[in-house]
Amino acid sequence: MIKLAIYGKGGIGKSTCTANLAAAFAMRGKKVIQIGCDPKADSTINLLGGKPVTPVMDWLRDHDDEPDRIEQISAHGFGDVLCIETGGPTPGLGCAGRGIITTFSLLNELRLFERFQPDVVLYDVLGDVVCGGFAAPIREGYAEQVLIVTSGEKMALYAANNINNAVKNFEDRSYAKVRGIIMNRRNVPDEEKKVRAFAEGAGLAVTADILRSDDITRYEDMGMTVIEGDPECETAKRFFALADLLIAEQK
Amino acid sequence: MKNVATIIPCYAADTSGVCAALYELGGLIAVHDASGVNSTYATHDEPRWEDEPSMVYVSGLTELDAILGNDEKFIADVVSAAHDQNPAFIAICGSPMPMMIGFDFDAAAREIERRSGIRTFSLHTNGMHAYAEGASEALLTVLAEYAELDVEKQPHSVNILGALPLDFGGAAPVQSIRTWLSENGFSVISCLAMGDGISSFRKAAGASVNLVVSYSGLAAAQYCFDCFGTPYVCGVPVGAAFSAQLADALRQAERTGENAYPCASRSDAAARTAVIGESIYAGSVAAALSVSGDPARLICPLPYADGILADTDSDAESEDGISAALAEMQPETVIADPLYRFILPQQTKHIRLPHYAFSGRCFETQIPDLTAARFDTWLAANKSIQSECTGF
Repeated sequence: MIKLAIYGKGGIGKSTCTANLAAAFAMRGKKVIQIGCDPKADSTINLLGGKPVTPVMDWLRDHDDEPDRIEQISAHGFGDVLCIETGGPTPGLGCAGRGIITTFSLLNELRLFERFQPDVVLYDVLGDVVCGGFAAPIREGYAEQVLIVTSGEKMALYAANNINNAVKNFEDRSYAKVRGIIMNRRNVPDEEKKVRAFAEGAGLAVTADILRSDDITRYEDMGMTVIEGDPECETAKRFFALADLLIAEQK
Repeated sequence: MKNVATIIPCYAADTSGVCAALYELGGLIAVHDASGVNSTYATHDEPRWEDEPSMVYVSGLTELDAILGNDEKFIADVVSAAHDQNPAFIAICGSPMPMMIGFDFDAAAREIERRSGIRTFSLHTNGMHAYAEGASEALLTVLAEYAELDVEKQPHSVNILGALPLDFGGAAPVQSIRTWLSENGFSVISCLAMGDGISSFRKAAGASVNLVVSYSGLAAAQYCFDCFGTPYVCGVPVGAAFSAQLADALRQAERTGENAYPCASRSDAAARTAVIGESIYAGSVAAALSVSGDPARLICPLPYADGILADTDSDAESEDGISAALAEMQPETVIADPLYRFILPQQTKHIRLPHYAFSGRCFETQIPDLTAARFDTWLAANKSIQSECTGF
């Protein structure tokens, strides 16, 4: 099973990359689960035609009891990807990180992996590894590899460095390892040079190079990924290439 | 709000269940929680504390440790204590604060084991579940760790699984169960977890049948069934007649290899007596009453599993649920811990059966040994005591 966590600075395109990667895996015949670990709960929306799934935190807020079926907190999206969102607490209150841990415990109780038998599980995680909750996806039993999404922008690289260091801190704990970087271009000057310099300094590979493209925006406006909207376009091909690489490594 | 107790207390927490289950085994138990929490366990949940040494520690988690994620302090302190004490194993478990900050006990246990060289277990408590949940995981963990596979089965031999002071009050009733087993031709290989140590557990696979005396022992029994093919029988030998049935069930399970639940084998048509308490212990009390012609139902506010409750028993984990079950049943007599009297319907006769996990040491000296015929004597004596409830 491929178990990946996608981290990166807020707004850098983690959900876009994750959803496209999920769709690419699905098009390769893989059974995929995507779990959005962000209070915004918008990780999977472009796999679902713009119709959001009920986040786990929303369910818990609206019901007296925990859900007793996966179906109550999930939806099948493009390519039959099983979409789940942790959601978050009331804005400004509660604890979002704790919400992720609670969601994972609940998914274990509901025997998600045993029942669904996925080939690929993708965790799309909010911004930075700010607390224990946001490290939950890289704990033993969850993701085994981390992909860090970054552009050549200074703050995106700064966040990528923080994430890489945070994951390194957990080396003794059998947590996930950083597999590499998804360079999600913003067309800033010397972008490739900056990202590759960072990657080289950190000892990481640039695993994918996603070009700046209006295709992504156009299809997201229509509630879909580029894999769904135009699987032949250059952006889609690059996500397919990343999926193929990870599948080949798994073999 | 659900599950709020406004009148009665709550049962001992899962952390106390872990500590109680492991208390006599020579391990170092570290509860990750604020300083002072150990006194809750020592004062209210552990009758052995004054008389029997053990290595139960609390980490003294502070607000800043929690905020700053000072996991290292906990790990280093446990390793240091282990070097001082040289325990047989280390067990770490948690309380609400580590749960809220997402402390990774599995990872911490691996780290502690790596640094100390001592086998370390993480037990997944959070201080918000009943003692039986923590004890169940602890007993299963030690049995799975130490029970050796290649042990020859001994005919007419048993493990007693789930014996804790939290349910039985002290060592005397457990000793009585050992004696009762002996009188019925069974030798005891090990008792989890009173009176025996790890060396006994190593031979646990040699038992021909297991006697499960509380829910806390059920997961360990299921493990023995799955791994060693040892059948189990759920029940406590309460009352002469039910004890005889229980002994027969042990013999039959030994013969057939099938599990049995005598504690739930009750006919409660027109039951006028309710028993409130732990599923297997209180269920056995209800069974003993039913066998002797006084059909009884169990109201179980604690964890249970399939097969342990009779069809018409009630699982009522909250104070409201217990009150509702009582209101529906309208029993003439309720056998329950003394602190339940405040929610029993008016005019109900209340026979006091103190439960250490519920009222702690408040009624410690009144906890009876109900083994075999002692129950019949106890019941006769208590039936004659007029103790009608007037409501709260």
